[in-house]
Amino acid sequence: MTTLSQPIAFPTAEERAALPPRRVLGDITILAQRNLRRLLRNTGLIVFSTIQPLMQLILFAYVFTSVVDLGEGISYKDFVVPAVLVQSMTFSAMGSGVGIAYDLQSGMIDRFRVLPIARSAFLVGRIVSDSLRLGLQSILLVAASLAIGFHFQNGFVGAVGMIVVLVLFGMALTAFSAWIGLAVGDPESVQPAVFIPVLPLVFTSSAFAPVSRLPEWMQPVAYVNPITAAIDAARGLALGNDTLERVSDVSLTTSLLQFAAWWVAIVVVFTWLAVRRYRRG
Amino acid sequence: MPQSGVVVEGLVKRFGSFEALRGVDFAVAEGTVVGLLGPNGAGKTTTINILTTLLPADSGRAWVAGYDVERQPQLVRSVIGLTGQYSAVDEDLTGRENLVLVGRLGRLGKSAARERAGELLDVFDLTEAGDRLLRTYSGGMRRRLDLAASLMVAPQVLFLDEPTTGLDPRSRLQLWEVIGGLRSVGTTIVLTTQYMEEADQLADRISVIDGGRIIAEGTADELKTRVGGNVVHLTLCDRTATSKAADLLARAFAVAHGELVVDDDLGTVQVPVAEGSAALVEAVRALDGEGVEVADLGLRRPSLDDVFLCLTGHIADEPRPDAPMLRRPRSSMRGR
Ligand SMILES: Nc1ncnc2c1ncn2[C@@H]1O[C@H](COP(=O)(O)OP(=O)(O)O)[C@@H](O)[C@H]1O
Ligand SMILES: [Mg+2]
Repeated sequence: MTTLSQPIAFPTAEERAALPPRRVLGDITILAQRNLRRLLRNTGLIVFSTIQPLMQLILFAYVFTSVVDLGEGISYKDFVVPAVLVQSMTFSAMGSGVGIAYDLQSGMIDRFRVLPIARSAFLVGRIVSDSLRLGLQSILLVAASLAIGFHFQNGFVGAVGMIVVLVLFGMALTAFSAWIGLAVGDPESVQPAVFIPVLPLVFTSSAFAPVSRLPEWMQPVAYVNPITAAIDAARGLALGNDTLERVSDVSLTTSLLQFAAWWVAIVVVFTWLAVRRYRRG
Repeated sequence: MPQSGVVVEGLVKRFGSFEALRGVDFAVAEGTVVGLLGPNGAGKTTTINILTTLLPADSGRAWVAGYDVERQPQLVRSVIGLTGQYSAVDEDLTGRENLVLVGRLGRLGKSAARERAGELLDVFDLTEAGDRLLRTYSGGMRRRLDLAASLMVAPQVLFLDEPTTGLDPRSRLQLWEVIGGLRSVGTTIVLTTQYMEEADQLADRISVIDGGRIIAEGTADELKTRVGGNVVHLTLCDRTATSKAADLLARAFAVAHGELVVDDDLGTVQVPVAEGSAALVEAVRALDGEGVEVADLGLRRPSLDDVFLCLTGHIADEPRPDAPMLRRPRSSMRGR
């Protein structure tokens, strides 16, 4: 064993403490890269969060489509696929909270908290890496949807728009899931803590039936539901405004605006909560 | 405002109604090593967490390298290194990747971080394991990598929370050697330990902490002296000469007869003395002049364990009776 040499010329304390935007972006990049590298070594998560929605796609496309008739000149398959894709983002976003809970347990978060990095870098890095993961997953699932005979009735631009909505929706859920991960602090408990509030929202949304066909007591809930907003936006982009108006009684513009409002609210609130949780020891 | 080292004044920390720190004060001169010695539950980790900006104190103040821990946390973070009580490593990265990650976030450039990582892997005998995932590491290797990570940016002040607890003797010696090396390049070190031997070996000064308070402070020698100084132990060639020897020694060291321990059967005499090895010479001189021959002699110093027992009234492993039952948090954020 050799002894330690004098350190390489290090910056002064003041230089190291400074946080110009360029440096904050650099830290976010380094942390996001670290998450992606870990992800590549934990293929289980990728497989789990892709297989699950794939099976759902197959179930809906081949089983339910033959028994459910919506009328309105649209097959149940075309109706339900955008919803399945939106729903798949909830599963994937859960992975963010689990990853953060692991970081808490392994002590990595404390390691980051004693480094002179921006207090938001850890969370933003997580949101960035996980959005990339969600983007990749969306593209895979869109390919699978085409393979089972889904029709993008709104052309290529609509399809790309839908992917953007999927990723944005997943990003908002990532912020929520990150906060849960920090608050719960143990990987096993993250899954129920994310699903208990999210699953009821999925079932009381426009995911599996048009809102007008839901039980009457559920309809008001479904109208203000953020998941309805995301699904209607995705559906409108994939199928076009006319089809959306026929099955959902909202225009694409309205649902996009609703989605945007929800998105900003969720991202701001939960990022703020999560950063607060992270800074405070 | 203190300019360097570490200064801690009256730190108080409560967890609910339980007062884990009840006014902790100590100071560490720049470039020296202070050992925070105390049993489980004494408040060592809580103190370290406050000094490293992980935990806010309820009252009291602290400065690290001249920066106020509460008001200038970002500056504190840019001059410190921390090896916590539980290792903080990324299981899914290799040893080298772990080090480079910490180095880059600690403001080293890409190539500087790589260079430093290579050097530290070498110092810690991890070069061969450097490109393996952490989850394949043994406990000792993990601990060494953890310490290496906190040295990536060559901290001005290094905090080590029980760095060798649970390590095998070989890894412990290795860490001691590295810590000695850091001291010699002028790093200020705050080290917590439950091992008297470790504090004795590594620390310039020792603060004994118990029940959230510093109950004694000094060099290892000073602490030992406080407990009752040294004892010269003599065995005479002639067993019948013990009472003559006792008279001579009582006079030479100016102590009462009652303070000597005389054993006629074994021909031994024990004398409490204030000084160290000089007392040995003095004892031989006093006896030799009167023709009493010494077969064997030695100086017994109280161990730090004696010191600890004497200061705290209990041995170093009983938790505070009033402490809440708590699963050890792995992170400062756990257990809330
Ligand atoms: N997060 C916490 N919540 C409640 N009690 C705590 C918490 N952290 C530490 N304690 C209590 O504070 C005391 C000091 O703990 P700690 O600083 O970890 O001691 P040490 O590191 O000397 O073993 C212990 O009695 C411990 O149970
Ligand atoms: Mg401790």
